[in-house]
Amino acid sequence: MSISHTITLEINRYDPDTELSWIHTYQVEASGILRFVDVLRKINDEQDPTLAWPSSCEHAQCGSCGIIVNGKPLLACELLVKDAVEQFNTHTFKLKPLTIAPVLRDLVVDLEKAYDRVHKAKPYLIKPAPPHRDGDEYRISPKTLEIYSEATRCINCFCCATACISSHHHFLGPNTTMANMVRLMDPRERARKERMDILYREDGVYRCHTARACSFVCPKDIDVSHFLALGKEGKF
Amino acid sequence: MGKTLTVDSTSRCDVLIIGAGGAGLRAAAQIGEQRPGTSIIALTKVFSPQKSHTTTAQGGMAAVDPKDPVDRAIFHMFDTWKGSDCSADQNVIKKLCAIGWEEVVWLERHGMHFSRTEEGRIAKRPFGGHMLDFGETLAFRACYEADRTGKGIMDTVWAESLKYGVNFIGQCIATELLCKDGHCIGAIIFRYPEGKFFAILAKATIIATGGKTRMYLVSSNCRGNTGDGLALALNTGLPVMDLEAVQFHPTGMVGPGILASEALRGEGAILRNKDEEPFMERYAPTAKDLAPRDLISRAIIQEIREGRGLFHEGHNAHHVWLDLRHLPKEVHEKKIQEVCSFFKRFVGVDPEKDLCPVTPTAHYQMGGIPTNEFGEVQGDTHGIVPGLFACGEVAAASLHGLNRLGTNSLLELITMGRVTGEGVVEYLKDAKDPDGLPPDAGHIIFDQFSTYLHAQGKEKYAEIRDTLRNLMMEKVGIFRSEKSLLEAVDDLGELKERATHIPPGTTCMRTNQDLWQIWELNNLITVSMVIAQGALARKESRGAHFREDYPKRSDEFNYHTLVYMPKFNTVTFDKRPIDMSIFEAKGDHYELFDYIQREY
Repeated sequence: MSISHTITLEINRYDPDTELSWIHTYQVEASGILRFVDVLRKINDEQDPTLAWPSSCEHAQCGSCGIIVNGKPLLACELLVKDAVEQFNTHTFKLKPLTIAPVLRDLVVDLEKAYDRVHKAKPYLIKPAPPHRDGDEYRISPKTLEIYSEATRCINCFCCATACISSHHHFLGPNTTMANMVRLMDPRERARKERMDILYREDGVYRCHTARACSFVCPKDIDVSHFLALGKEGKF
Repeated sequence: MGKTLTVDSTSRCDVLIIGAGGAGLRAAAQIGEQRPGTSIIALTKVFSPQKSHTTTAQGGMAAVDPKDPVDRAIFHMFDTWKGSDCSADQNVIKKLCAIGWEEVVWLERHGMHFSRTEEGRIAKRPFGGHMLDFGETLAFRACYEADRTGKGIMDTVWAESLKYGVNFIGQCIATELLCKDGHCIGAIIFRYPEGKFFAILAKATIIATGGKTRMYLVSSNCRGNTGDGLALALNTGLPVMDLEAVQFHPTGMVGPGILASEALRGEGAILRNKDEEPFMERYAPTAKDLAPRDLISRAIIQEIREGRGLFHEGHNAHHVWLDLRHLPKEVHEKKIQEVCSFFKRFVGVDPEKDLCPVTPTAHYQMGGIPTNEFGEVQGDTHGIVPGLFACGEVAAASLHGLNRLGTNSLLELITMGRVTGEGVVEYLKDAKDPDGLPPDAGHIIFDQFSTYLHAQGKEKYAEIRDTLRNLMMEKVGIFRSEKSLLEAVDDLGELKERATHIPPGTTCMRTNQDLWQIWELNNLITVSMVIAQGALARKESRGAHFREDYPKRSDEFNYHTLVYMPKFNTVTFDKRPIDMSIFEAKGDHYELFDYIQREY
């Protein structure tokens, strides 16, 4: 159950004061049930307190700890050592920061800047439907909700945006586009024209090449490309 | 010897919100709605408010629809009073239970994706300690969005704040409250990426920094829940209240301590010991697996102590089982989808087929910065601090007293957030712009950071952190005694001293993780000391505070504990009476709001 692994981590480092970048190699003896956030903490504790890495809730609900491991963007809190060894079929892992925002230090990128994109999708109800005649909640059937509720699970970790072949060039990105789709599918939203303008703007959904990398990497297993496809088809 | 620390620049706003989680941003949205054009700055420690810890709340938000055919607000008030072990404030209970449903409707109208009934109404589920007819049968009272209700709430208040043009500043901490002539006029903040201090002057300041249980070995809280807001208040010379009341959630996943929501038991999951006996039947014959959290956590530890627990080799931890195998597939896939995926990913068990290992995890603080029912911060027993408000988990109004019922925290976040927002709008009518920075602004915090940066010695951050987390778990945890608490006070004194000898890995200021964590560690030790001191002084057992040497509740302690600690371990105690206004009004059922016996 708790077989120990000797793993090698080759981590991209960056020092904002000297503006130097380098790769630092760490060898770690880690129990298979440790998560990558635990391994990074172990490096801080036992080898190098200067290595900076991001995290917050550490159970895949906040999306702060996105990093690239052997080319795949994922949440460091979700990746168990034993699963990593099996999934990547190696004991050597290359850890890089997400490519979606400027690097602040080592594995920490400025997600605050990445969020500027999400803000453009106006994740609120721009123009809410009038209240129900009884004065309480709007009625939504479970069937209607089910059509878009998967998309509401998005935590904006930007793994999809990192994997996306277009999001680095003039595309708002899969997560942002999906946030707009949620409100287009939400029966309470009345500002449909404005929503469609966001969807079909210059950096909108048609920048998507349907490579489906977003769905492939999504840590929440959301079929992101499905919602983008609905956007392209105008099915909402 | 290095750089001189200074305030880099000063900005101004009408309202400064320290902590942009559910409560802080519900307040922001209220201010935005009620007083358009108000300039609001909301600070968050994380990258975006959406990443706040509110987002991890799972099960639901308690609220009674006034049109509900069977449930009534008075039942909810009674449950909250009984759940608190007769130590919550009845004026607050009455107020918040009464407006809960309005707030659920507010959230829904502002776009939250609540789960629905076949009729399209907001769905409800039962939760621990929430009952009909004053404790007779389970009530369907928790409004929920699958098992990600906190995320639904967070997304909604974050998006609404965005709509009103709230200025978010991420990756920063408030290190010092600015005060002038007894008024709060803003704060000094420290930004992680630049490693610089900035001053923000505000007409009104709201502290909404959330919880703090990272000082416990097993904790459901996020990496940043380190008691920063409490330390901020204590360092300003303000009191904190009832910190000895720490809630241990009975079902943390073995290992990381991730929460396995009470919603699982609300949907029918059962706790079992090593003989697979559903042991809660022995401890709480009526409420069983949906008894309040303090009771179940103690029952689990009791089972383990008496040899009926299990041991997890991999995580080196004792546990019991949570059985979800008999729940319909539909429930696994739709209603508790996130938690089931956590068990699969983090523990490697499939809740549809396997028993799930769980153990109590430090989860919530009932106490906090004392406020009145309007969210105004209490300076001492006699008055408030003008310009300073607090709401959410960091504050105590107090809805929870010494024990909180599940789903009452989201209720409190949202209702007190709104109430505080309303209070701020009222306050702004006569509030003046602060003149300028007080001459000594930042001096204390610059000294503190300089000490961290230039510390010499051989101490290691990780060793002190781990010692702290072990000692708090063992000596100031679910079971406490005079002996264990006295030891803890000594140990904490020693740790505080040792923490001044941790040389940081680097003295570069930008994104200096080590410096940031040493600051957090100091906050944790400070707050831990207050928890231990409060627990030592409360020689009784009430709610989540359990003393093995005083296992019964005692009328002598029918009050809230106030603690001042302007300097480390220089502690002054005070008391705040428990508000008994429902009882004193002598209305229907008033006798149930007396100091009643608490059985489930």
